[in-house]
Amino acid sequence: MQELTTEEVRGLGHAVGLDIQDPELTEVTYSLNALLEDLDHINPPGLETVEPLPILLPPC
Amino acid sequence: MEKAEIPFLSVSQLSELIKSRQVSPVEVVEGYLERIDRLNDRLYAYLTVCHDQAVEAARASERELARGAYRGPFHGVPVAVKDQLNTAGIRTTCGTPMFNDVVPDEDATVIAKLKAAGAILLGKLNMTEFGTTSLSHAFATARNPWDLERFTGGSSSGSGGATAACLCAASLGEDTGGSVRGPAAWCGVVGLRPTWGRVSRQGLRPGMWSMDTIGPLARTVEDCALTLQAIAGYDPHDAYTWNVPVPDYRAALDGNLAGKRVGVVKELLYAEVVEPEVRDAVSQAIHVLAALGAQVEEVSIPLTRHANTISSALRVEAPTNYRALIQERLQEIAHDNRIAYLTWSLMPALAYYKALKLRALLRQEVLAALEHADVLVMPTMGSAAPKIEPDPIIDSKERSNRNRAGLTTAFSLASAPALSLCCGFTAANLPIGLQIGGKPFAEQTVLNVAYAYQHATDWHERRPPL
Repeated sequence: MQELTTEEVRGLGHAVGLDIQDPELTEVTYSLNALLEDLDHINPPGLETVEPLPILLPPC
Repeated sequence: MEKAEIPFLSVSQLSELIKSRQVSPVEVVEGYLERIDRLNDRLYAYLTVCHDQAVEAARASERELARGAYRGPFHGVPVAVKDQLNTAGIRTTCGTPMFNDVVPDEDATVIAKLKAAGAILLGKLNMTEFGTTSLSHAFATARNPWDLERFTGGSSSGSGGATAACLCAASLGEDTGGSVRGPAAWCGVVGLRPTWGRVSRQGLRPGMWSMDTIGPLARTVEDCALTLQAIAGYDPHDAYTWNVPVPDYRAALDGNLAGKRVGVVKELLYAEVVEPEVRDAVSQAIHVLAALGAQVEEVSIPLTRHANTISSALRVEAPTNYRALIQERLQEIAHDNRIAYLTWSLMPALAYYKALKLRALLRQEVLAALEHADVLVMPTMGSAAPKIEPDPIIDSKERSNRNRAGLTTAFSLASAPALSLCCGFTAANLPIGLQIGGKPFAEQTVLNVAYAYQHATDWHERRPPL
């Protein structure tokens, strides 16, 4: 997958109301790219069809 | 009994002595306070010690005993809690000086339950800043009682340190991705993450709402069971607690493993982050379980290898709790949390949605493995406690937080219970943790396997060299 640049990460920050400057910007860029890359590599069988159920709901 | 010897007793031992009036709650509390006063400047386990309130509560406890109003096994027993839990009239910092002035009006439900059970609150315990799973402490860094140059583990760092150092009889921590089990492993005590929904989170400062779970730390499995008994149950103030009966956890501790099926999670036992000393100790522990009558076999849960990545992608939940602080006081937040909060805040929606689906698949895998096993076992942490070192600057993708030593996250994602207890020591005399996971709401099974193991071994009888 294509990596995000620092400028793109700064833009993502603006989109959620965060003004991210260096030195944090460089570290966040590495960190976000690493996480997205790792996530991109996880593609087990059933991923397309499974419905997300983040929590175990108590019975009504 | 000498007052200085009292802190070394287990909850169950202490309870018997108090009930039979051989020691008084005031003596007990004074014994603990003296030990805290002597050691806390070295361990930094407590952020706040409630001297006056604890002595006053002990006197009230004594008066109750005198009139025959015995409350049960926690009557007069001193406990301490992570500073993430609201305590009426006592500051609750959540590990940050930014909350130094926060004094809640009400107790968290678990605090109210402990008090109703007769427990006496000694104070509030240190934790990593905001309770993230990082190692950064905004106050002094909590020190591992086994080696003061080493981390206790986080985020319930003071809970692990105080319990191991006998600065409380038992404690409460909070476990999102492993924050009870990690400190329990590195400090050599028992720590339980209950099923999500078993214990109320009302009055807990949030980390990740879909994974936060309050759990006990103690020096014995029996004490852990007693503490869970005191805090478990439905709470109308927490919509996600289950209104199902709470078993008698202590009564379930028969130590009988005959025919119990124990699954060894091979992806975690043989994970790259697991050091040989840890793997050997856990393998030996598995032999002990087999010798006690358990049927042991390896199981495969492939997605456990990716649990930390999946969890990290879901952590967008965490910075939403502190959005104003991140926007307005970013430089007051510790470096690793600052980078983590910013990173998690930028998680694209599609990536987050994929992580939610992966979580559902991982949960299915864990529950499927538990169809063929009563419990699953694996190391808690890949290594023993590391040296305290400054948080490194992230100057490459490889240096980001993706490869953590913790092997605890799969059970957090599965909303299932898991416990850590000591299963040996490294050559450097540092504790090693065995993790035991079970089906949702089957804490009694997890506790009983741990109980059987603890009774067959003597690791829990070792004390830190303080």
